[in-house]
Amino acid sequence: MIKLSNIEKVYQTSNIETLALNNINIDIKKGEFVSIMGPSGCGKSTLLNIMGLLDEPSNGTIAIDNKPVEKFTDKDLAYLRNQKIGFIFQSFHLINDLSILDNVEIPLLYRTSTNKSRREAAKEALEKVGLSNRMKHFPNQLSGGQKQRVAIARAIVGNPEIILADEPTGNLDSAMGNEILNILLQLNAAGSTIVMVTHDENMAKKTHRLIRLFDGTQVS
Amino acid sequence: MLSHLFKLIWNKKRHHTLLMVEIWVSFLVLFGVMSLISYNFKNYVEPIGFEYENVWALDLNKNQDTTAIADKLHIILQKIRSYPEVEAASRMSSNSPFSFNTSNGSINYKKTSVHGDYYDADDAFIHTLGIKPILGTWFSQSDVVAKFKPVVINQQAKEGLFGEINPIGKIIGDNQKVVGVIGNFKAKGEFSDNRPCIFNLIDDKYIFNKVLIKVKPGTDANFEAKLTKEIASVAKEWTTEVSYLTDQRQNQHNLALVPVIVFLIITVFLLVNVAMGLFGILNLNIAKRREEIGVRRAMGATAGNIKIQFVGEMWVIATFGVLIGILFAVQFPLLNVFNIEASIYWMAIGLSIVVLYGIVTLCAYHPSRQAANIQPAMALHEQ
Repeated sequence: MIKLSNIEKVYQTSNIETLALNNINIDIKKGEFVSIMGPSGCGKSTLLNIMGLLDEPSNGTIAIDNKPVEKFTDKDLAYLRNQKIGFIFQSFHLINDLSILDNVEIPLLYRTSTNKSRREAAKEALEKVGLSNRMKHFPNQLSGGQKQRVAIARAIVGNPEIILADEPTGNLDSAMGNEILNILLQLNAAGSTIVMVTHDENMAKKTHRLIRLFDGTQVS
Repeated sequence: MLSHLFKLIWNKKRHHTLLMVEIWVSFLVLFGVMSLISYNFKNYVEPIGFEYENVWALDLNKNQDTTAIADKLHIILQKIRSYPEVEAASRMSSNSPFSFNTSNGSINYKKTSVHGDYYDADDAFIHTLGIKPILGTWFSQSDVVAKFKPVVINQQAKEGLFGEINPIGKIIGDNQKVVGVIGNFKAKGEFSDNRPCIFNLIDDKYIFNKVLIKVKPGTDANFEAKLTKEIASVAKEWTTEVSYLTDQRQNQHNLALVPVIVFLIITVFLLVNVAMGLFGILNLNIAKRREEIGVRRAMGATAGNIKIQFVGEMWVIATFGVLIGILFAVQFPLLNVFNIEASIYWMAIGLSIVVLYGIVTLCAYHPSRQAANIQPAMALHEQ
């Protein structure tokens, strides 16, 4: 589903070169739930951004569904992100000026769809995460766990095949964290391929596979 | 997407209230200027109806002289007409073309009445100003003895009084018989409106103080000096003032254009303020909303989508201001304010909308492009 070959990422400032990722080779199969672990600054989020086509590697190739994306235009990449990938972030990244329902609708705005169908899909996604009673609320009226559930609803509203979660429980207490992990496990059981960055060993143990990074290098 | 943008701006309306008010005020001022410009432009494209090149206006001020005025005027006119430099000379009332004098009132036919300008002129008037009747003829001096006083009206008066009926021979007002119809006669210049008017024939007893002279091309100030000297030799106590119709026309233009220019300066000042406001708000928005830009890009927005969103948001803000402005502006054509044709107001509303949205787009385009170029990973990482 996602194949990374010899991925290298170098950040270049005026006279300092930082190697964020070095020779990463990962093949994520359809339906897998993979977690990525490693100390802070080891390149986990960079790797997830590259997988999610939000960032370009300095070297190496990425293939989604066996199609290399190097020559894809901005439009092609945006299309892939919109159709195939759902993102969940540690700090939720909800838009405070929009209601929960409107936040969840966002990925569908970049598709050809009617207002009504968008609304229906967003309601359905919110029902899946148990927030159908909060649709008219705004993000600042919700708890952290609820915000993350909204973010999950937003990630799944377009039925993507891949969900990339960057420390989805990092800002939550353990009870809330477990709740979010359970939702992710259910989504995986329903067929979604999930890649999750986490610091929590216990959570990582519940996934199919664990990838460990250290100083930008894949150690397991 | 449109409803999404409206929702986004509506939810943040408090942040944008000042800008919306500014756009509303700018729209109203712009509407005022555009109405003035449209009004003047519409008048300008309408032909003036007479020739003014090489036409001089002679003002004869009799001062305290009361003796043999009619005789002196007769001699002066004969002398003027005798010069080879003079192609035609005509007596007329003091409200000559481009002068600041006016004489107006109702022109009546049966129960129909129009408000128009009154002029007194003689038979040489059409030769002096190169006017050609479009119906009937201009009056001749022999018409003075006719039972009915001969009058010539212009097309506007004809349409107002008679519509499609041929007015030649019709008796109007106080025993006045229409003998001819001319086209336009815009005595106050190109920027004045095309008003109805009526010309009465001057008889030989008429004490005039204005003579229009059509001189040959190239006639210079030497002739002007010779002319005034000659008049002074006939009427020593009189003073004569010569002015060129081209100069007087320019004065009338200045009078019409000065308010437009003043309004235009105020409008430009306001629009610059709006432009700076929009530019500032967008730059601030982009700096504050990098996270949102990153999220939208992650959710599938292309760089183009981001650009459209930010330009669109500014359009939405402008729309709120413009809509309130339109509510006020439409009252002008609906209530026929200042008795100006409704089409001018509608045109002004249309032009104001185009100009305002043009400025908004221009101001929003560059910051929106910057927003579109933000790297999503970078924007998300910064948060």
